[in-house]
Amino acid sequence: MKPSSDRALCIMQDGMLRAASLMVPADQRSDWRREWEGELWHVRHSLCQGGALSWPAQREVTSFCLGSLHDAFCLRRESRPAHEPMPRLSGAAGQCLLRLGTLLAVCFVVAKLLPGVQAERDPARFQVNPGVILIQTSASSDQFAPTIAPAVYRDWKGVRQRYFDEFAFYRTVRERASLSEGRDAGWNVTHASPNLFSLLGLDLPFDVARNSDEGGLPEAIISYDSWRRDFAYDPGITGRLVHIGNRAARIAGVMPYGIWRLPGDPDAWLLEPDTLLAHASSRDRGYLVAHLSPLGQDWMRGPSIPIAVRGAEDEDQEYYGVSFAGRLRGPWAIFQFSLILALLALPAVTSVTLGESNYSSHRPSRSRTLLRRGFLLAKFLLVAAIAYFASLDLAWWNSSNYSAIAEFAQLVWAFSICLLGFRWAMFDQRQRCPVCLRRVTHPARVGLASRTFLGWNGTEMMCMGGHTLLHVPSLPTSWFSGQRWLYLDTSWDFLFAD
Amino acid sequence: MAAEPKLSHTSAMILQAISAGYVYGFSIMEMTGLPSGTVYPAMRRLERDDLIRSQWEKQSIADAEQRPPRKYYRLTADGTATLEASRKRYPLLERLINTEEAKSL
Repeated sequence: MKPSSDRALCIMQDGMLRAASLMVPADQRSDWRREWEGELWHVRHSLCQGGALSWPAQREVTSFCLGSLHDAFCLRRESRPAHEPMPRLSGAAGQCLLRLGTLLAVCFVVAKLLPGVQAERDPARFQVNPGVILIQTSASSDQFAPTIAPAVYRDWKGVRQRYFDEFAFYRTVRERASLSEGRDAGWNVTHASPNLFSLLGLDLPFDVARNSDEGGLPEAIISYDSWRRDFAYDPGITGRLVHIGNRAARIAGVMPYGIWRLPGDPDAWLLEPDTLLAHASSRDRGYLVAHLSPLGQDWMRGPSIPIAVRGAEDEDQEYYGVSFAGRLRGPWAIFQFSLILALLALPAVTSVTLGESNYSSHRPSRSRTLLRRGFLLAKFLLVAAIAYFASLDLAWWNSSNYSAIAEFAQLVWAFSICLLGFRWAMFDQRQRCPVCLRRVTHPARVGLASRTFLGWNGTEMMCMGGHTLLHVPSLPTSWFSGQRWLYLDTSWDFLFAD
Repeated sequence: MAAEPKLSHTSAMILQAISAGYVYGFSIMEMTGLPSGTVYPAMRRLERDDLIRSQWEKQSIADAEQRPPRKYYRLTADGTATLEASRKRYPLLERLINTEEAKSL
């Protein structure tokens, strides 16, 4: 055998002894390692013929080293305290609630750690002023497609309105942004009128529209994603110059995470004077945001309102205004809707009876019945809470702005988890002893299907506390359609002493 | 001795090997044919039951021979008595591991 191979095998064998010694209880570790190493020397020495070990000899040495692992396993097994069975805990109601509680805690902690979920859970951050609507043309089938020409904004703003007291306009275009020397990025840039954020009532932690009206450099606000992606969370980003398209702009700040819920997913907002916005191409389309006057708010009864405008040539132009209330409802409203859906769908996927019929006239005490129903209610509440946090985690883990897909995902996840969780809760409840709430165990097949008319056939399970037997028929018949409990009297106690 | 412990065949073989003069772990393995993963835990159990006693070789002896020190084992009085009882239970034990053979090595 080559010396290099011999050396590599020596290292491996020493490593095995080292690994084995790590498995030995600490107080005996050094003694065992010393003995193994001492014996290994003799094993090698006895098998060594002329300097290097042959392959069969190496195999023998390696098997000696493997034996040390076996020794270590034996020692661990012998040093471990005897395992105490916990019959009282196994399948107990408390254990079930503990597991659900742990799962809920995990989902809650994950929700706390995800910024997307945090932003979504605080709807107050992205609520807009009451009375703010988005105006669209009736010709568009897409409720949130850009449909308004800049000229409409200019015309409407220049005329005194009865139903609106303020307008703002924005349009989003794809542009090249020069971030620094030789570093470019393709950005979705929203060109907005200077009053957009004040009209919406968004609480921005910096002052915008300061320079926009003063003839200085336009102010740019970058999105949280751009700040992360293009500026690596640079804390000194405010005041930096960037070139967007062919114009320079000064960065006013970073848009707080998840605050922008209007249509469009911009990387930057560029606040421009109305004169610049109005000079955009006649083919460009954007969004018109308006604030309803008190008279307009009286007219706005539902989520949308039709608007008819008499044009310059006496033709009627049809528009409609959409309220942001439905769009900014927040995750709680989505969860409530999915919870109701799941509760309505529950009878379709499982029986909603608790299977409390029994063979005898024995009835559990009132307190036991209340405890059992309280346990079911606790399971439902925990499942619902898990569904709320888990659906938020799964839907919003990577969303910083409004996303209809994320909302839909939250709805689907919340509905699925609620439905499956409630179904499990009902199934689990039917298999819990009405006396001690432990799950019945040891299923045994009873009877034959071919003798259904002579006797019942199905599965019999027992409560480990010795309180009940549960009989579940395989073939529901008119005389044995559902599961039944058989209450055991005290003469059975000696069998279940624990 | 009020009650002699009944040994397994493996433990009895190890006691017989030690009694025959194979006093190191590896030599016991070689003599009995048992793998290392069986011999050492068995010897620890015999030691715990006071049937054998272990002792580290003096470091000076190992240093003189340029090797690591070894742990060697010897029977206690209880171990000798137990082995006697085991020989009655396993009559072939002495033939499997012959004392004379060990002495001749």
